[in-house]
Amino acid sequence: MTQKLIEDLLSFLVSAVIQGSIYSLLALGFSLVYGVGGILNQAHGAFYVIATYIMYVFINGLAGVGFTLGLIFSLGITTIIGGLIYLVLIKPLKESHVSVVIVTFAFAFFIEYLVGILVDRIPHKIEDYFIYFGASERFFTVFGVDIQYQEILIFIVATLLVILITLFIKKSKLGKSIRAVAQDSEAAELMGINVDKILAYTLMISAFLAAIAAIINGPLGTVTPYAGWPILINSFAIVVLGGLGSLPGSVLGAYILAFASRFTQSFINPIFGALIPIVVIVIMLIIRPRGIFGKKEID
Amino acid sequence: MKKRKDLKTVLNDFKSYLRFWIKTFRGQVTVLCLIGLAILPFITTNTYIIGIFNTFMIYTIFAASWDFLAGYVGQVSFGHAIFLGVSAYVTAFTVKFFLFPWWFALILGAFFAVLFGLIVGVPSLRLKGPYLALGTLSMSLILYELFKMSSLGLLWEATFPGTELFGTTGIGQIIIFTDIPQIFYIVIFIIMCVVVVFLTHFVKSNTGTILKAIRDDETGAKASGINTTKYKVIAFMISGFIAGIAGGLFTFRHTGVNPGIFQPLYSFYAIIMAALGGIATISGSALGAFIFVFLGEILRLLGDNPNITGTIGGFVEPIFVFSIILIIIIRFAEHGLLKPALERLKSLWDLILGR
Repeated sequence: MTQKLIEDLLSFLVSAVIQGSIYSLLALGFSLVYGVGGILNQAHGAFYVIATYIMYVFINGLAGVGFTLGLIFSLGITTIIGGLIYLVLIKPLKESHVSVVIVTFAFAFFIEYLVGILVDRIPHKIEDYFIYFGASERFFTVFGVDIQYQEILIFIVATLLVILITLFIKKSKLGKSIRAVAQDSEAAELMGINVDKILAYTLMISAFLAAIAAIINGPLGTVTPYAGWPILINSFAIVVLGGLGSLPGSVLGAYILAFASRFTQSFINPIFGALIPIVVIVIMLIIRPRGIFGKKEID
Repeated sequence: MKKRKDLKTVLNDFKSYLRFWIKTFRGQVTVLCLIGLAILPFITTNTYIIGIFNTFMIYTIFAASWDFLAGYVGQVSFGHAIFLGVSAYVTAFTVKFFLFPWWFALILGAFFAVLFGLIVGVPSLRLKGPYLALGTLSMSLILYELFKMSSLGLLWEATFPGTELFGTTGIGQIIIFTDIPQIFYIVIFIIMCVVVVFLTHFVKSNTGTILKAIRDDETGAKASGINTTKYKVIAFMISGFIAGIAGGLFTFRHTGVNPGIFQPLYSFYAIIMAALGGIATISGSALGAFIFVFLGEILRLLGDNPNITGTIGGFVEPIFVFSIILIIIIRFAEHGLLKPALERLKSLWDLILGR
């Protein structure tokens, strides 16, 4: 009995932490773009889809070098697309928020159907990276719970990246410019910062983080064109929880949401697990619209 | 007493407006199109053609409801599929299992749609920023996840035997109007006319002026003593109700409903149709829906043709093409196609008449 309880608890903890790590990368990018440019990027899920599909195509199509090439192309192309979205679609429409939101929404559909046409619309699986590199097992057992190597990888990569990005925004010169634009883009422009360049970089960082999340989560998730939408609403629920534009808020929010939804799925009822994001959104909008770490001005 | 007088003046104003409007070029073109639409079911009995026109008119209602909210109140909803879907489900459920008359089910469905929309809409409408857009999108996605869940479907069937609600198959075999397709066509036609006339006049009324003031300058409107939240919620409810009516008709048109209706796809449909016609032109939705439905049908036929799919691949996929069109429209032709199209038509007409 206690053995069973420990197993349940442990597997719940592992899955929640892993989910939280993935969400934190996704929400960090989404929140960064909103916080710096006030841009609501509905194509955030599309970055994830692009990266997943490139990885899938390379790993499936090329034996041996597929992983390395997939990694390079997936990160490179997604990041470049992030920059291009800003320069081609968002920048000319920056005056009208509504247009930006609609254009990114349309772009999300464009990507969803483009990958559907180029590959297909059937769900696929990416081969486990450790099996791919010749490992005999893809998990080890602790207290009767199977922990995949992939999950360890996710946790390490995500935590490292969150720390690195935070340091980057805090310390580096580009990070300082990003913060300046976030505080007051007009003043930043007057101080000689190229705001458009900074916003393009911000979107590239956001796309890069989404691509990393897609790559490390690849073998655990399903490859489907539709995957971008759940990513988008989870990111949104997280930033509403943590505060729009707040980076620590989005990391904390990611873990809270992951724990809440995994807890509901494991111990209450899987049906209610799907409801968690909307419940979080509605409750936060009613009791504390600015989120945990949000600034006052939002509500 | 006062209310009755108001209605009378409104009707009189409407009559005199109609007399003036019918003499304008725009009015003449509209009347011509309406007459064409009205007599269509008496010319042809081809159910395929009538079906396409039914879809076109239902989408006009749907797009007009989105356009009203986005164009005149400035509240962009990305989850209009909530209204469409909830209403479609309620209509289907009550007609099939409670044997409600279709018109009652339609209105009931629309009320439920408004109710569901309000759950996310009211908290988000109190705030600025992206809350409404993403809140409504999230709501529609979560309803999609819930309704397609087969475990919930089994639970429902165990609790309420003999009925079905959740699950991927949805609710099927809603057989209404199938014996006389003309009647269904005329019903949709009348509802469409009422909706478009109501919305175009509503935005010119006092309330409509307040809504436009909120759109243009929310702080200013607040400073003038307008309760902006109240008016935004009213507009949201009107829009939701009309979209809900479209949802009920959608069920009858497809003789059933499935969870796919909650996908962001249908919200996207509303946006593309409204944007094609021109945002903040209610009647533009009709043009947008016309282009959307017929171009979509042509693309679908092309996609079914093996010769063509062999040469250009799957790139004729309608939604793929429309997502590109929407990007181009928003990027280069923000005011849509209705106004330029009418101007061109008028100059052509003048040319023919030798004016």
